[in-house]
Amino acid sequence: MKAVRLALAVILVAGIPRAAAAQDAAARLDARVSADVARAVQEIAHDAAERGLPVEPLIQKAIEGGAKRVPAERVIGAVRQLAARLDEARSAERAAGLTAPQPDAIESGAYALNAGMTAQQVSELVRVSQPPYDPAVTLRVAATLTALGVPPAQGLATIEHLIAAGRPPSELLDLPSEVQRGTARGATPAEAAQQLDPQQQGGAVVRGSGQRGHPTPQPPPHPHKP
Amino acid sequence: MTPYHELVKRVLDGELTLADLPAELRAEGEEAVRLLAAVDRAPVRLSPQLDARVMAAVRRHAQSPVRRAWRWVAAPREIELRLRVRPGVVWGGALAAAAALALLLGRPAAPGAAPAAVASVPARDSVFVRFVLYAPSAKQVTVAGTFNQWDQNAAPLIPAGTSGVWTTTLALPVGQHQYAFVVDGRRWVADPAAPAVGDGFGRRNSVVAVTTGARIL
Repeated sequence: MKAVRLALAVILVAGIPRAAAAQDAAARLDARVSADVARAVQEIAHDAAERGLPVEPLIQKAIEGGAKRVPAERVIGAVRQLAARLDEARSAERAAGLTAPQPDAIESGAYALNAGMTAQQVSELVRVSQPPYDPAVTLRVAATLTALGVPPAQGLATIEHLIAAGRPPSELLDLPSEVQRGTARGATPAEAAQQLDPQQQGGAVVRGSGQRGHPTPQPPPHPHKP
Repeated sequence: MTPYHELVKRVLDGELTLADLPAELRAEGEEAVRLLAAVDRAPVRLSPQLDARVMAAVRRHAQSPVRRAWRWVAAPREIELRLRVRPGVVWGGALAAAAALALLLGRPAAPGAAPAAVASVPARDSVFVRFVLYAPSAKQVTVAGTFNQWDQNAAPLIPAGTSGVWTTTLALPVGQHQYAFVVDGRRWVADPAAPAVGDGFGRRNSVVAVTTGARIL
């Protein structure tokens, strides 16, 4: 009898964190969006969780909509669209041979799709991102290049060429800031990216005047320019 | 007031020196540096009595009997614990632990419950990121994003004198964040110099990705 009571107590205690987390998510939404939006988003998030998709971006999108005072139906639509994008990103990554994409990779894939890359481009980049290259990172870099105005195909090709040239993964992280340096000098994003493509430069990557380009950590605070 | 040239902003950020500027931007750069130096780099004058006051406070704190008592309670010490249990209780405990484990692993995640995305994130070390917006006519500027639950009151920017430059430095956890500036509590503005993506509501969000090694995408 004591053993049964002990078992029940342990099961009860084990269930508390999950119930508390669910309550926490509901509270986060309740405080920031209307009851209708909270209900709808929780349903979408529940479906996403059951399909193994990350849920936090969906909650964040709803909170963002509430903060921006977006009408309820548009918030729900945006959350639904994001869930579909996460799903599409995961499918693209699976098609590239990533059997169980990590949430970070799925979110990066969705970011890439949102920035303007196609599912095929996401697949292609994942396919070439073999260790030591992390698909979550290469996707994020490609997406950021696209968001900076570099044509998606060109950004993808630049990253592929750097990987093929055996450049260290840390060098990929510098690409967006190098493009920004180029545009600050008056180049178009495409021109700036072209300067970084080893195939366009005969194997030599042309870098900016800054100290980046080597895996040297920058001391905080890091300036995030206006 | 006109916005500073990109190269001048990079001088302000310490990426370039005034000597790197082309001749036509030199005067603008010097003026900007002078303005910021006046605001940001004014030396802080400390009272000569500060040391004495700080040390007196430290001594008072160290001598507090409550603190001494707490130290005694919290100090690690060896304790010998002897338990005498029946085999049935041991087996019951093992079964309970197994049941709890099965429950934890088998149940689908509740909507909004601790998401896999968060659970898989490695140690959340933070990196300081400086946000700067040039908004000469603004009365108030804040930054809201995924790092502060889009709370437009959580991170106000401070005006740098009368230059129209607003700035703040935040410690952001490693990861990718979307954000926007909120001007005068109602206007959402994307960071003009950061990459931006659609927010799903017809506007743009800026993106900053903080990676380990204090790098920013």
